[in-house]
Amino acid sequence: MLEASHLHYCIGPRSIVKQACFRVKPGELVALLGPNGAGKSTLFRLLSGEVIGKQGEVCYNGKPIPSFSSAALSKVRAVMPQSSHLNFPFSAREIVEMGLSMVQTRRKDLVVEEVMELTHTLEYKNRMYHHLSGGEKQRVQLARVLTQIWEKQPYARYLLLDEPTSSMDIAQQQHVLKIVRELKSRNIGILAILHDLNLAASYADRVMLLKNGDVRHQGPTHEVMTSAKLEEVFDHPIQVIKDKERGNIMIHPVPHQKENQLHYHTA
Amino acid sequence: MLAVNPTIEKRKLHVLLLFSLTVGVMGVGLLSATMGAYAIPFSAVLSILLDQIGVQWGEFEPRQATVFLQLRLPRILLAMLVGAGLGISGAALQGLFRNPLVEPGLIGVSSGGALFAVLFIVFGDQVPWLVELTGSFGLPLFAFLGGLINVLLVYRLASMAGKTDIALLILAGVALNALCGALIGLSIFYADDAALRNFTFWSLGDVGGANWTKVSIGSLLIGIPALVLSSQYKQLNALAIGESEAFHIGVSVQRVKYIVLMLSALMVGVGVSMTGTIGFVGLVVPHLIRLLFGADHRLVLPASILVGSLLLSFADLLARVMVMPAEMPIGIITAIIGSPFFIWLIMNVKTINNR
Repeated sequence: MLEASHLHYCIGPRSIVKQACFRVKPGELVALLGPNGAGKSTLFRLLSGEVIGKQGEVCYNGKPIPSFSSAALSKVRAVMPQSSHLNFPFSAREIVEMGLSMVQTRRKDLVVEEVMELTHTLEYKNRMYHHLSGGEKQRVQLARVLTQIWEKQPYARYLLLDEPTSSMDIAQQQHVLKIVRELKSRNIGILAILHDLNLAASYADRVMLLKNGDVRHQGPTHEVMTSAKLEEVFDHPIQVIKDKERGNIMIHPVPHQKENQLHYHTA
Repeated sequence: MLAVNPTIEKRKLHVLLLFSLTVGVMGVGLLSATMGAYAIPFSAVLSILLDQIGVQWGEFEPRQATVFLQLRLPRILLAMLVGAGLGISGAALQGLFRNPLVEPGLIGVSSGGALFAVLFIVFGDQVPWLVELTGSFGLPLFAFLGGLINVLLVYRLASMAGKTDIALLILAGVALNALCGALIGLSIFYADDAALRNFTFWSLGDVGGANWTKVSIGSLLIGIPALVLSSQYKQLNALAIGESEAFHIGVSVQRVKYIVLMLSALMVGVGVSMTGTIGFVGLVVPHLIRLLFGADHRLVLPASILVGSLLLSFADLLARVMVMPAEMPIGIITAIIGSPFFIWLIMNVKTINNR
């Protein structure tokens, strides 16, 4: 279990994350949603162990983060940040292999090939990373992160994703979420920051809504993703449409109706 | 699927490259042994070397043996050691700061080492117990301290919340270099030792003062750290994606930082204390390797050792031969080879990367 209890984080007098309490169980996909500046990324860094807050704690499988060495922590959780910038000419394959750099395995090549095939990155494995498009880079980074937790282990593990699909086209987005969903059967719990509410609605088991550092609502997807709750968090009218045939929900941000409502001083 | 195992293929290529570089270093070493103000024929060099291990082969004059064993060989070995130290510390610092512009000379490691070496020589007499206690290690260790202080200062100034601001890093380096250069000049001004008034030694470098003591100190304080540093390839590879990413992958980032900063300061400081500051090697060597063979530190680190040795021993050869019987400061040679070559590299980066 990934467990955050009373996480609190301030920068100066401003609280970025306020008393956050939640759990991510192995085998479930939790989506973390919220408007810009809600504190998602800070919360994400607290969970990954990159930042240790003064108040509250994060536990992986019952052990608080500070009691892990960075090597031990990397065995129970993998992290994919929003974007990574490289200054050196590494090939796509070399980047993917780095996910295994601290892992002892005899099947390194097999794992790398399998993951690259899964993420559709094998076809450009020898191309230089900095020549790839945004979406391709993201898939290479996803492949790197997956190698770290690919081989089955007898204990529960966790995957943290920060907007893993932000530069991808629709087909790629769906493909990536499908891959992530399959991981659940490997005793892996996933927490993903998502921008696209519909992706969250279609794939997440549970949803957390964050606003101004507060976890306003959390629970099963269909309970949390209601128009009242989403409107409260995103400050915009949002329509939630239930598709009875497929049994899932669709999120529709209602566009502004009247034109010429904005008044400018200069134009 | 292709039946070729890519990892094994890549490793074979690495071994082959490193082997050919080693052969190259030995070749330059032998060539360098024969040439100079006092030429020694190749056969004589071989027979002197064989004589050292008790094999009688060929003939040589006793004078040739003296020149070779007491002057030329330690000089060649010292140039190789210093070059190796500069090469790998350049590669490791570039990896750590995630920027290909970093160089021991640029961020103040060399000038800090030089300043402290000068201070030790000029003011060492005032603290006789320190000189007594440290012996031949006093000077190199003091230079290491100077390099370390500067690199830590620069690092502190340029890093905020785990991110290194490269503009700040270079500005801090420029400021520290200017300060150290001025202080070196000032100390030398106060020194009464005539030999020390040779400012070019500290600014342009000179391998001329080599002897076996320096070589053994160099092997200990440059050779061993270089080998330790090349074992950090996984960590430096992971750092290339980012500090946070390296931490996620399981690298203890703080530990790697300290290892790289300490060992680089040690190797560069010790080198500076023996040969003065030699620029460009730490910048050009890792660049060259990355451009030709890719950025994997598993190759870049050991190859930087070898290419650094090769480059500096070759530069020393040129420094000795070009204006015979006089000698040129080796820093002039490294800059004359280094800068145009570097400009050529920059101009060709795109074409090479696009292959």
